[in-house]
Amino acid sequence: MKNFLKNRDFILFSIIIFGVIIVGFANPYFVQPSSLSDVLTDTSILIILALSQMIVILIRAIDLSVASNLALSGMLISLLSTVYPELPVVFFILLSCVIGTFLGVLNGVSIAILKVPFIVTTLGTLSIYRGLIYFVSDGKQVYSHEFSENFLALIHYKFLSLSFLFWVAIVVFIVMYILLNHTRFGRNLYSLGGNPDAAKYIGINENKYVILAYAISGFFAGLCGYLWVARYSVASTQIAIGFELTVISACVVGGISVMGGVGTVVGCTLGALLIGLIRNALPAVDISQFWQLAISGAIILIAIIINTKTEQRKDKTIMVE
Amino acid sequence: MVVCLNMKLELKKISKFFPGIKALQNVDFNLKQNSIHALLGENGAGKSTLVKILCGVYQPDEGSIFLDKQKQIIPDPTSSLQLGISAIHQESVMFDELSVMENIFIGNHIVKKNRLVDWSAMEKKTRELLDNLEADIKPDEKIKDLSIAQRHIVQISRSLVHDADIVIMDEPTASLSQKEIEELYSIIRNLKKQNKSIIFISHKLDEVLEICDEFTVLRDGEVINNDLISNTNKDQLITNMAGREISQIFPKKHVTIEHEILNVKNLYKKTQFKNINFNLRKKEILGFYGLVGSGRTEVMKTIFGINKFDEGELTFKNNKLKIKTPKDAIQNGIVYLSEERQNLGMTGLMSVKDNINMAVMDKNSKYLILDKLKDLQNASELQEKLNIKVSYWSQLAQSLSGGNQQKTVIAKWLSTKPEIIILDEPTKGIDVRSKSAVHEFMGELVDSGMSIIMISSELPEILGMCDRVVVMYKGLIKKILDVSNTSSEEIVGLASGE
Amino acid sequence: MMKNIIPENPPFKLLNILYKKEFILLMVLLSIIFINSNVSPYFLDLYNLIDSTFLFSEKAIIALSMTFVIIARQIDLSVASIIAVSSCVLGYTTSVGMDTYLVISFTLLSGIMCGAFNGFIITRFAIPSIIVTIGTMSLFRGLAYSFLEDQYYNKFPKFVVSLGSDYLFGYIPYAFLTFIILSIIFAFILHKTIIGKRIYSIGNNPESAQYTGIQVDKYTFVLFTLNGLFSAIAAIFLSGRLSSVRPNIAFGWELEIITMVVLGGVYIYGGSGSILGVVISIFILGMLSFGLGLINVPGVGIIIFTGLLLILSIGFPSFIKYFRSKNE
Repeated sequence: MKNFLKNRDFILFSIIIFGVIIVGFANPYFVQPSSLSDVLTDTSILIILALSQMIVILIRAIDLSVASNLALSGMLISLLSTVYPELPVVFFILLSCVIGTFLGVLNGVSIAILKVPFIVTTLGTLSIYRGLIYFVSDGKQVYSHEFSENFLALIHYKFLSLSFLFWVAIVVFIVMYILLNHTRFGRNLYSLGGNPDAAKYIGINENKYVILAYAISGFFAGLCGYLWVARYSVASTQIAIGFELTVISACVVGGISVMGGVGTVVGCTLGALLIGLIRNALPAVDISQFWQLAISGAIILIAIIINTKTEQRKDKTIMVE
Repeated sequence: MVVCLNMKLELKKISKFFPGIKALQNVDFNLKQNSIHALLGENGAGKSTLVKILCGVYQPDEGSIFLDKQKQIIPDPTSSLQLGISAIHQESVMFDELSVMENIFIGNHIVKKNRLVDWSAMEKKTRELLDNLEADIKPDEKIKDLSIAQRHIVQISRSLVHDADIVIMDEPTASLSQKEIEELYSIIRNLKKQNKSIIFISHKLDEVLEICDEFTVLRDGEVINNDLISNTNKDQLITNMAGREISQIFPKKHVTIEHEILNVKNLYKKTQFKNINFNLRKKEILGFYGLVGSGRTEVMKTIFGINKFDEGELTFKNNKLKIKTPKDAIQNGIVYLSEERQNLGMTGLMSVKDNINMAVMDKNSKYLILDKLKDLQNASELQEKLNIKVSYWSQLAQSLSGGNQQKTVIAKWLSTKPEIIILDEPTKGIDVRSKSAVHEFMGELVDSGMSIIMISSELPEILGMCDRVVVMYKGLIKKILDVSNTSSEEIVGLASGE
Repeated sequence: MMKNIIPENPPFKLLNILYKKEFILLMVLLSIIFINSNVSPYFLDLYNLIDSTFLFSEKAIIALSMTFVIIARQIDLSVASIIAVSSCVLGYTTSVGMDTYLVISFTLLSGIMCGAFNGFIITRFAIPSIIVTIGTMSLFRGLAYSFLEDQYYNKFPKFVVSLGSDYLFGYIPYAFLTFIILSIIFAFILHKTIIGKRIYSIGNNPESAQYTGIQVDKYTFVLFTLNGLFSAIAAIFLSGRLSSVRPNIAFGWELEIITMVVLGGVYIYGGSGSILGVVISIFILGMLSFGLGLINVPGVGIIIFTGLLLILSIGFPSFIKYFRSKNE
């Protein structure tokens, strides 16, 4: 059985490599280290969000509000930085994480304590948080020249020719890997998602885990709020609209089951990489931007179908022919 | 003879009330150290309430619990585990996608000093436990790939890891083969040697008499009797449980069996079953016996149209049958009562009337519009016939008692005026009195002209109720026997592969 | 022998009505009307009220078929994207000069095909509808974008424009009228026909419904196709009213439509709910937007308010329970 799992992640991995090669034929610049590094940078935020979404999907829920959370946190710290530009960037990063976590906890409380189903809660907060961006910014944007030097500087650092963004993604990957595979909390997430009644019977406090899961999701949404705003040097009401769907697609393609209790950190990351590859490959092979949405949608559907077919349990063999 | 004077667990005057129901009343229960103590009673007698109190799921309204002579409170399942009480259930408290090792240590992972999970220590301990129980299971196997007997072993291992002193086993041998049952008995005796005390819940009185030391019988929430097993016998236990003598557990009416109505030829489904050939005659009760996983349910699901088959022919009253969906089967007069009565028979959130009419609504309607009068007529007819206790028609089906829910499901199927009824383990987990009622009812159905196919894993039931029995093993029919011309040994032997 | 006649319903208690979802919703609606009329003198103006229905009628039409989908334990996030596709077909067929009846037929056909595609993927591969429609949401919208690129259509058959913005007898907008008629039909189907009973059964327990002989896959497929058809119908009214189709048409509408349904008391996990509740909730949301708009609350504020209303309306009973249990 171990082999089978490795197989699926391996298949994803092969598809990615294969995809890169194909695009490379059409556009040789694409496979140059610098542009590949750009692809990785571009995908970093998606990887981080996919990994944190994975925690929520593991316990049989979804967080539809991550993009709005990200945008609101990003906008809030951007506005603050225009008023207090001399504050160190670390302060803004931490603040963004705190705001994101708070917004995430609101989701968790609504679901766990108020018993509002997760679909309804996160659909609601998706709109509420997005709406609040308008309120705090009066509908106006924060432009690149309004950001202080030190706010934007961090993004441009490069270690070993890989960008700061990608290093953050690597760190998050390591943290998530340890969290989900080597801590009680992580293992309990798998059991809570796999068989909620049994898990509660064993003494796993479902409410606590739900709130924590959404808090984590919110935390990383907040972190990505800073990363996004700093990378694109703009904060507006429109950033990351619809991105939550990309995040969820990355998880599903990566083998995280919506039924809960199934999925690996490696698989999730590969799913995000594949989607990131598609998003970057399409412009590289000169496909008009207007076709990208349709093609991404189609490829995602195909990936989901393939994923589901391999996931579905075959009937147990009763008779040996 | 070892005289054990140590009282491991004492329940004194325990009472538990639910709205309108006295689940337990003034119950005294004493579990001696190193004893295998049977907890007996019909469904609804209070056994599961008692167990849930011990497991910390419910709190007693009156009375007290003493463990090792010390008064204890068990506020939640975690406390119950910490006090050394562990339970093995019929339904799984198991995680299919996780490994054996994780299931054993669930909620209780061994951690290293740095708070990270210590996988190697857990694997070592798991191997130890599995070897002690002489189980052929690997620590990293996923639960979903294990058999039911193997899952029981995992659950037992979990109790041992929790260092449980008291192990509660609820119907542990349901769904096990004879060999596996013997293995389980030796494991239980082993646990006894290791100073564990066991509460054993089972409806199989023969089993109770064989393996238990003492017993307590509950009826309607009260203790009727408790004594040593050596001081009682089967008839007395039945009388205790039912409150009256039940002379005939298999009240079968004598019926003249008529011509063949169903003929199944060469049914074949890849990896599931092959060469399935049998026939069913009118007014006959045809049994299907075999170990769990022998393919009986799969065959029936195919005949009913839930699953497709690869090859084969069905003939009903000399006409070829084309069954692609359950709708086709029902239209042809074949109905199927699944083993999972609750989930697959009833729609809890809909009214009792709707549930009863669900399968015949299209027959009663005109151009898809519901015919209120006909619906009411049908529902009333069947409610009377089956004596379903319901206060008003719009009552939700889930608010009925268990027995009445089952009657509602039966009412639904009888509304379709079926000719063949397929029953999948109809009396599994049911107490003696209700079993008898089900068997009596089966006799009535057959008398009124229907034919029954009954899948059962209880030999006495097969021998008592069926005219013929089809014995299956690993997807094949070993033999079709005349019940009057065979023996338990022959049937069990064939079912085990001989 | 005395025959015990079993009554249909429990003895009538006025109190029971007070607990019914539909009654509570009605009270909310009346309060909103009352508050709004006190806050703004323009609220109770008949013409204003009639005109306010334009803003929600198209969504309301889709909310009806979405109700069936949700009661059947499914969800469809792609409806707004189907509107986009159908509007493009509408615009394109007009631009190549087809007759009006062909234009409308092709538009409706496009909606049906999108819905059928959803239904096919969901039933054939047994993938949860939330995931499939997340995918088709992008796919369909993407098709609209790739078709239109950065252009837009602004020429539509007179009939369509009239449908979208005119009134029957000068008083009743066609879109609103269509919604009312459809809601009566749907209410009838849901509560008085076998189809309705089967949908409830499927939503309650799909496996049990299958064992009872209900063709669950067939019903699921039809429901999603219906949703597609109704999205196309809405697209016709919408395009007619706006007289302009851009690829981002109806952006975000799926959330509003689902809000209409869930606020109306339909349980998100299926098995219960009524058309009446959904209709009242549509009016609640409509009157709310209209009233808030009259006092110049920005559109964003309305969105935030709606989101809060949705969450709190479902969370409120649990909130009460929590306090009750604390006091015991």
